Amino acid sequence: MLQANTEQNLGAFEKAGPSKRPARSSRPRNGYLLAKGLGLLVPATLLLAWSVAAAKQWVPPQILPSPASVVDTLLEQVRSGDLFVNLGISLGRVVAGFAVGGAIGLLLGIAMGLSRTVEDYLHPMFKAVSQVPVLGWLPLAMMVLGIGESLKVAIIAHASLVPVALNALKGIRGVSRNYIEVAKVFQFSRRQLLGKVVLPAAVPSLFVGIRYGITQAWLSLVTVELLASSEGLGFMIVWGRQLFQLDLVLSAIIVVGAVGLLIDKSLELVESRLLRWRPRVSFEAQAAGALPSTTAGES
Amino acid sequence: MSASRRSVLRGLVVPLVLLGVWFFVTHAKLVNPLLLVRPDRVVTSAIKHYEEGAIVGPLLASLQRDLLGLFIGSFAGLVIGAAMGISRLTDRLLGPTFHAAKQVALFAWIPLLSVWCGTGELAKVVFISLAAFYPVVLNTHEGVSSVGREFIEVGRVFRFSRWQVLRKIILPAALPSIFAGLHLALIYAWLGTLGAEYLLAAAPGIGNLMVEGRESFQMDKVLLGVILAGVVGATLNTLATRVEQYALRWRVRGI
Amino acid sequence: MTQASSSLIEIRGVSKHYAVKEAPLQVLREINLSIRDGEFLSIVGASGCGKSTLLRLLIGLDVDYQGEIKVQGQRVVGTSLDRGIVFQDHRLFPWLTVEQNIAVGLENARFSAEEKKRSIAEHIALVGLRGFEKAYPHQLSGGMAQRAAIARGLINRPRILLLDEPFGALDALTRTSLQAELQRIWQTAGITMILVTHDVDEAVYLGDRVVIMQPKPGRIRKILDIDVAHPRDRDDTRLKTLIEDVRRQILERPAAD
Repeated sequence: MLQANTEQNLGAFEKAGPSKRPARSSRPRNGYLLAKGLGLLVPATLLLAWSVAAAKQWVPPQILPSPASVVDTLLEQVRSGDLFVNLGISLGRVVAGFAVGGAIGLLLGIAMGLSRTVEDYLHPMFKAVSQVPVLGWLPLAMMVLGIGESLKVAIIAHASLVPVALNALKGIRGVSRNYIEVAKVFQFSRRQLLGKVVLPAAVPSLFVGIRYGITQAWLSLVTVELLASSEGLGFMIVWGRQLFQLDLVLSAIIVVGAVGLLIDKSLELVESRLLRWRPRVSFEAQAAGALPSTTAGES
Repeated sequence: MSASRRSVLRGLVVPLVLLGVWFFVTHAKLVNPLLLVRPDRVVTSAIKHYEEGAIVGPLLASLQRDLLGLFIGSFAGLVIGAAMGISRLTDRLLGPTFHAAKQVALFAWIPLLSVWCGTGELAKVVFISLAAFYPVVLNTHEGVSSVGREFIEVGRVFRFSRWQVLRKIILPAALPSIFAGLHLALIYAWLGTLGAEYLLAAAPGIGNLMVEGRESFQMDKVLLGVILAGVVGATLNTLATRVEQYALRWRVRGI
Repeated sequence: MTQASSSLIEIRGVSKHYAVKEAPLQVLREINLSIRDGEFLSIVGASGCGKSTLLRLLIGLDVDYQGEIKVQGQRVVGTSLDRGIVFQDHRLFPWLTVEQNIAVGLENARFSAEEKKRSIAEHIALVGLRGFEKAYPHQLSGGMAQRAAIARGLINRPRILLLDEPFGALDALTRTSLQAELQRIWQTAGITMILVTHDVDEAVYLGDRVVIMQPKPGRIRKILDIDVAHPRDRDDTRLKTLIEDVRRQILERPAAD
């Protein structure tokens, strides 16, 4: 939902009450640090509680390894190179899967956006398919593809494809008639119309789709590796569980979370650079193809 | 033929083609019949199971877990999401933690849960609650924090207490986002139900149906499970959409 | 038509500034104003003269200022059911019908359910929205939505109704008819109304007095009496002269401090 700032006079300076959505105004130094500090408070407290619980052995170490042992395991993984091998495999799959899924999704989405005919044929299927979470396809995919690399890439491609396509479609369809009419007045050729009006206007949506697609790709990668793989980060989690080495499990989870966070933050940065001209609407509010595809989700 | 009729018919082309391919491939034995079962066999198997009462029982068991987890997860999500939306302090405290945890795929928690909560009903319900929790907390937070300040000022003009502002302004204004979150929670909870049943200890349920089928190499049973899962999922989804449309009928019809 | 009635609102030495990086920005400076009970006061001025800010101080949504604002001898601290307001964007709750929106104003009022129902019906009739009780805001035109907002502003029978550029977002034709409506409503309700606008015609047509403000910093330039009986005729030459007067005052170089 867009927040309308309706303050008339001197709206930029109005601070009569606490604003619900913090604007990207420049905060004083200590305010910024305070905010970051607060964010770390909860994890720090949890960490503390965890250390105490582990030290006092309230729970056997197989069930709750101490933070120190998790760090040790993590470092050992780094030293032995195991972590990088698994990380590399996981990342490789994500890249491959997203490249395939994203490219196909982009093509299909743009095709559906530009041609009503194509949309008629494909959109209903898309909508139906997008209602089923990616995981739902796993049994079927396993039956058809077995549990080799192609399964992983296929699942990841699928996870990326749907959001990219649907957001591309939304982006192109959503280009305001007003802009198209301006182009008509200036006698734009079809190519000019597409290149100078439609595609630039659709870029924000395209980017949202890509960002959402990558997020989904990372999540489904880990899931597939959990369920049907013998290497990669997801596999590390399962393997550690089977060996009852929860420190391995936890270190793998930490790496998964950290990489995911890194990817997300970088995309956020790129987005803010690329789309500086846009009024602020939050990422969650925009993403289409975020199940379900109802009008309620649209801002 | 009118344009919209033509659209609808075109939309059916791909699904029908796929169905046809399925028939053809299985009848022409292009695929190992143990892997891909003929459609008619799935139907007969389904009828047989139904008559044996082996559909209703697992179905109810799955739904029970699903709804329990859904309720717990959604409730927690609503409370925490609203708290984060209203109080900047809470947002600053909890936000980063949630944001980081969001990056970890849902199913990655199963190995841990299986150690900490065992593999019985507790673990399953916890997992399903987790699946429901995330979309609700994120969407509720989004909805509550973006309630226009102009509406809150109206509340102040009429001397609304904090509780009144929450109940009569913030919640209704945030309702579209909240519903979006609940809708997602519904889908993920069902997915979580199936996953939990499949991966954790055996107990009556649709996920279990699939496990049994896999272990006894009865692919028709597996497919039956998959189809049931799909049907229930689609039904829940449609129901949720209807409820949403009714509750939010004050919204302007978007394009 | 000046009435020998007591002053209802006393504004003494009111100033407000915003702290901005380089130097404080003074929005209002030494505003002194007495508003009589039952009068219609128009405040007019170019953008940035602080007129809307002054209104927010009066309604109590903003309590950060220097000086004194008293209503009936009592200092203004926060909002009160005794002071109503109509915003430029109607701010009707989109999830409520017209009826329910007006009822929002009665949330904290001490009337019985019966009385509330009756009052709501009366006010809907007053603003000319009979038949639209069950409509949702998105089904209403801009003008109709503002009427509903006016009804909501009046539902508590406040002593004062503040209007912050209520017709600013409407087209010229709707604006003209609603101005006449507002005049009728004011005469019927008999309460004090304070209108902030940038439309000089509107200010003079409606107001018993017109306060002309100028910006940088926001202060009162002049107060004009509009000595024409209500209900007024737009073609009245006296009004037209006064309108010209006011316009000239606003467009002229601001007087030296």
